[in-house]
Amino acid sequence: MIELQGIEKTYGNGSVRTPVLKGISFRVEAGEYVAIMGGSGTGKSTLMNILGCLDKPTAGRVLLDGADVAELDDEAISHLRNRKIGFVFQLFHLLDRATALKNVMLPLIYAEEYPDDAEGRARKALAVVGLEDRTLYRPGELSGGQQQRVAIARALIVDPHIILADEPTGNLDRRSGLEVLAIFGRLHREGRTIIMVTHDEGVAEHADRIIILEDGRITDDRPVSEPRQAEGELEELRSEEHVR
Amino acid sequence: MRLYRIAGEGARALRANKLRTFFMMAGTIVGVAALTVIMAIGKGTEKKVMKRVQNFGPRAMMLIAGGGKDLPPPDMTVTTLTLEDAQAVRREIDGIDIVSPMAWRFRMNVKHEANQRQAVVWGVEPSWHEAWNWHTVAGAGIAGQDVATMARVCVIGQTVKEELFGDADPIGGHLYINQVRLTVKGVLEGRGTSPMGSDFDNRVIIPITTAMRRVMNVDYVGAIRIITKDLSRMPDQAAAIRALIHRRHHITPPEEDDFRIITAAIVADLARGTSKTLSILLIALAGLSLLVGGVVLMNILLISVTERTTEIGLRRALGATRRDIFAQFLTESLVVSFAGMLLGSLLGWGLSVLLPRASKLPVIVSWEPFALALGFALLVGTFFGVQPARRAARLHPVEALR
Repeated sequence: MIELQGIEKTYGNGSVRTPVLKGISFRVEAGEYVAIMGGSGTGKSTLMNILGCLDKPTAGRVLLDGADVAELDDEAISHLRNRKIGFVFQLFHLLDRATALKNVMLPLIYAEEYPDDAEGRARKALAVVGLEDRTLYRPGELSGGQQQRVAIARALIVDPHIILADEPTGNLDRRSGLEVLAIFGRLHREGRTIIMVTHDEGVAEHADRIIILEDGRITDDRPVSEPRQAEGELEELRSEEHVR
Repeated sequence: MRLYRIAGEGARALRANKLRTFFMMAGTIVGVAALTVIMAIGKGTEKKVMKRVQNFGPRAMMLIAGGGKDLPPPDMTVTTLTLEDAQAVRREIDGIDIVSPMAWRFRMNVKHEANQRQAVVWGVEPSWHEAWNWHTVAGAGIAGQDVATMARVCVIGQTVKEELFGDADPIGGHLYINQVRLTVKGVLEGRGTSPMGSDFDNRVIIPITTAMRRVMNVDYVGAIRIITKDLSRMPDQAAAIRALIHRRHHITPPEEDDFRIITAAIVADLARGTSKTLSILLIALAGLSLLVGGVVLMNILLISVTERTTEIGLRRALGATRRDIFAQFLTESLVVSFAGMLLGSLLGWGLSVLLPRASKLPVIVSWEPFALALGFALLVGTFFGVQPARRAARLHPVEALR
């Protein structure tokens, strides 16, 4: 599905050169749920940008469905992002002036062919994240968890090959975070490919494979024998709250 | 259509921030309004000029006694222009149709029985009727015989007829001017009031010889009306007449003239007069507003690009190409310009309608300013929108999302 081959990324030029990624290679197959883990400054955001075709590596190849992204021009890469990648950001990045429905429909504006049932699809995507009754709310009227779920619906609307989530729970309380992870778990079971970047091991363990990044290199790449189930944790959380 | 959807995004961003959008279009509003008013005044003025020229006679020149820069006083005071000068013009200038000398006096007492009124008395030759295209509606006009015999006859204007004779038939009736008893032989057609407010019909015309010898006691005339056969020759003829009068009056050019020649072209310039300076002022205002407005538009848009960096990054991540971002911001600029153009046209139209009520400026409202404003809006919107749109399009998605 997506494969990185010897990715290097160096910032700056001339005498001040800062290598951030120092030869990263791995492959993610369709239907995998991968967490990329690392502390701050390990290059995980940079890796995320390269995976999302938002940035180009200094060296190495990014193969998305077998095609080398580096060979494409801005227009082709933009169309590629639109069609194949669904982004979920730590800061949600919703348009404040637009309703949840309009926010979810945003990627369709840039689609090469606008679907006739755009609004129906947006409603369906919002239903997937449990917000079918919030379609006309604006981001300011929603909680953080709800905003992130709108963002997930926005990622889903183009039916992407890969969902790329950058610290999706980073700005959420535990409960909202678990709700987001529960949605990811469900999407994964439905066969979607998810790559999530996080610094939190507790979050990463929801994936079925963890890649550990340290100082621009992969130091570990292991399957998770028993991934955590967000639904179960939510259940526990609810009963805890109940007891209290 | 993809571009249409992207344009919709631009329009939505403008609606979300109405005050800022208003400031973005303020310059365009003022500029376009000024432009609309200028064109309305321009058109109105041209109509007024045409009317003045028509009144003056498009093929006419006036050789008027008295030089200098200011207009001569309304009454005849300069004594050097004579009937012989008129003869000389008639004899020596080619391509002239009519040469018609006139002597006049304003505010002369005109009496008929118990009725009395002040009117303008004109001494004229028979050609006067043709030269002014002003004929009698009753009786007859001044004839050659009347001039030759210094006949005590007159032709009266409508106002004089109404004020002195009322409903009675004036033909064959008598008038007294300076104790000279004149028989009314005709009534002129009505011409109404001049734009300046004087009554054209408050006049009595008499044979020029009668006027000079019996009524006014002068041996000079006030002006000579000259009608050319060929409009294209008028400038040459005017020059030839000037040279002729110089010779006859023994004037050598640095010396000041004791006459002036007014042509239809000069009349047109005079009629344009004040509205011309006003138009220049308004054109300056319009140009300045559009320029300043455009710069303001550009700067607010640049600020907006900076403010919405994250939004731009997000759109790029979701699949917007550089061109899409460029199109969105250019749309914002164009929409603002067009909205400003519409509001400005409306304001200008309102002012153009109100202006004639507040001033004497002639105004004609038409569709042309709207078309021109449309062009300007396109120009301003594009010219000042490109820079911010380009900046937005060049943002790197990674930097923008940080």
